[in-house]
Amino acid sequence: MTQAQQALSPVEGAAATEEVAHGDLLGREAAPEHFVRFNVVERVQHFFLMISFIMLVTTGLPQKFSTTPWAEWIVLHLGGIDTTRALHRIFAVVMITVALVHVLSLVVSLVRGRLRPSMVPSLRDFQDVFQEVRYSLGLTEEHPHFDRFEYRQKFEYWGIIFGTVVITVTGLILWFPVTFTQFLPGEVVPAAREAHGGEALLALLTIVFWHLYSVLLSPLTFPGDTAIFTGRISRERMMREHPREYARILTEIRAAEAARRAAEAAAAEAAAAAERAPPGKTPQGGRDPPENG
Amino acid sequence: MYDGKAPLDTGPFALSRKATRRMLLLAAVLGLALVAWALTGRQAGPVAAQPQPATPLISHPLEGFGDCLLCHDFSGIVPQPPSHHAYESVGCLACHQESPDLPEAGAAVPAGSSSRENCRLCHSRPITMTLAGGETLNLQVDLSTFDHSVHGVKLACSDCHTRQAVFPHPKVEVATLREYAIANYQVCSRCHFSNYNKTLDSVHYDAFSRGDQNAPVCTDCHGSHDVTRANEPRSKMALACSSCHVAVYEEYGRSVHGRALQEENPDVPACTTCHGVHNIQTPESAAFRQESVSLCGRCHSNAQLMDKYGISANVMKSYLNDFHGKTLTFYKKESSQIWVREPVCTDCHGVHGIQDPKDEGSIKANLLEVCRKCHPDATANFPSAWLSHYEPSLSKAPAVYLVKVFYRLLIPFMIGGLMLHILLDIWRLARNR
Repeated sequence: MTQAQQALSPVEGAAATEEVAHGDLLGREAAPEHFVRFNVVERVQHFFLMISFIMLVTTGLPQKFSTTPWAEWIVLHLGGIDTTRALHRIFAVVMITVALVHVLSLVVSLVRGRLRPSMVPSLRDFQDVFQEVRYSLGLTEEHPHFDRFEYRQKFEYWGIIFGTVVITVTGLILWFPVTFTQFLPGEVVPAAREAHGGEALLALLTIVFWHLYSVLLSPLTFPGDTAIFTGRISRERMMREHPREYARILTEIRAAEAARRAAEAAAAEAAAAAERAPPGKTPQGGRDPPENG
Repeated sequence: MYDGKAPLDTGPFALSRKATRRMLLLAAVLGLALVAWALTGRQAGPVAAQPQPATPLISHPLEGFGDCLLCHDFSGIVPQPPSHHAYESVGCLACHQESPDLPEAGAAVPAGSSSRENCRLCHSRPITMTLAGGETLNLQVDLSTFDHSVHGVKLACSDCHTRQAVFPHPKVEVATLREYAIANYQVCSRCHFSNYNKTLDSVHYDAFSRGDQNAPVCTDCHGSHDVTRANEPRSKMALACSSCHVAVYEEYGRSVHGRALQEENPDVPACTTCHGVHNIQTPESAAFRQESVSLCGRCHSNAQLMDKYGISANVMKSYLNDFHGKTLTFYKKESSQIWVREPVCTDCHGVHGIQDPKDEGSIKANLLEVCRKCHPDATANFPSAWLSHYEPSLSKAPAVYLVKVFYRLLIPFMIGGLMLHILLDIWRLARNR
């Protein structure tokens, strides 16, 4: 259970979700225009992951499909196969660095007690898939209400995690075959080559068809979702795409607001009590009141 | 010594000094005239004496009447014997002694008669000449060999021996047999121009043009009077090369290809199959190394041919699909000047001494050594990173095979599912509008 989930009881959560889903805008005054969806570290990670992925595909795919004319074109325009491979290894280091930074940031969050397991798949995600399919088929008019990350994003995230592990390990085997065959049979090298190419192709096709559809071409996001670059998401999109997160945040805001009001009321009451009390002990302490100055 | 003052003679025929001077003047004029007449008369004079040649270039075969008449018949042969009719029944040698004068220099070989027959007169005999360098040039030609050569029915002697088409033959200027061959081989280009032209691009001509007199010319490989088709039998080609490249020939002779060639197998490569024929290139260039794989592939990718011997026809494909082969393919596209450090066929299989890879210990045993040329720290496991041309399967390299199958199934399944999801999404969004 996360802190946020702890803060929001199931009943409250459901109620808030209903509220948002039915266009109850009562909470609007309290909610900000924009929400911070991705912090700077996350945005930088995505940026370098994107750059390294594009470059790795550009320099790697022609090696897999080396007999095709386009592969030849790319390699020759990159300055030959040696340069292409050098670039591939440089951007491999970039991607591995991104992966390490990601792990490190998770560890830091964990140590600071701020780790939100928002990417952990739950039963709810499988229910959401079912609900989404029913919605798409027109069997229900109720779109699933997603939390911070919907099942599509979780799927992609874990795809990237596993894919990066596979591609990194196999890539290192291909990069240092002599080292790895000191303790592994030689057959791991061609096996790694097969896995490296297969995983790369799978990743590329997933990114092209799945990620780019979701973030660029889908009628809901066209011409593009900029949240990963600006870090910001509008209140409207929060309500539409992440109603459960929105509701939770709203509840937190309301709770905070309520707490603030309570504190103010308490302070006002204390001040009133102090006024009734004999002078000499003002809430202003030792400071001179401005009206007296 | 006469000092010009005392009288020349004081005897009874003594002349006065003036008379003596006149006599001397007259003698000088006469002498000069005589010399002038002698010099000019030799050319212009109608009955100039035949000069005696210092040494006859070729001695006449002097065996009788019939032989003489083959050249010196009565129908216009030069020199035309005038009014010899009276001597028809007398042998030539009755009058002409055994060192007859040679015919006039530059006389044409008789027209109308077969020059070959004329040549045969002398060159069927064991005649030789000694070159200036001391070597002996054999001038005897075995005409039956020539008749059986490819040129036998097509060419007359003078078609090739153009300089010798006159008789007596011009003096042979070369000093050695080698110089003789070099001086004459270009005559082949008169007919075989394109092949001759190709030789100009060859490594042999390159050596020749750098002054290597031993670089082969046409006749060194093809022979001269005994020219037969160079590839009949096929082993003949290898033999021709072996006259210089002995060590390579012997190594090749022990190889799987060479042993088969000795049995005149039509499928195995002879020297020229790989090295080319007339425009033979150096096999030590970067370009040759790059092309060597396709060279082997010319036969080893031919399924029909390989089936005959139970050899896989996918060996080049499997090589080119691997890391080293892909590197080679890209290098070839970049520049033919790049020296491919990656192993090519010959680095594992050898060049001239190629053996059957299935023979125990011929390649596998040496593989680690080959790998270590570039991967010095490679251990015993390393060579099996190369699947020895095998396609991955459950029996050969099962791990590779399973990974391959896994992605073959996963990718369509995954991408198909995602596409389906996207289509459903679009469909719903379209209906929402």
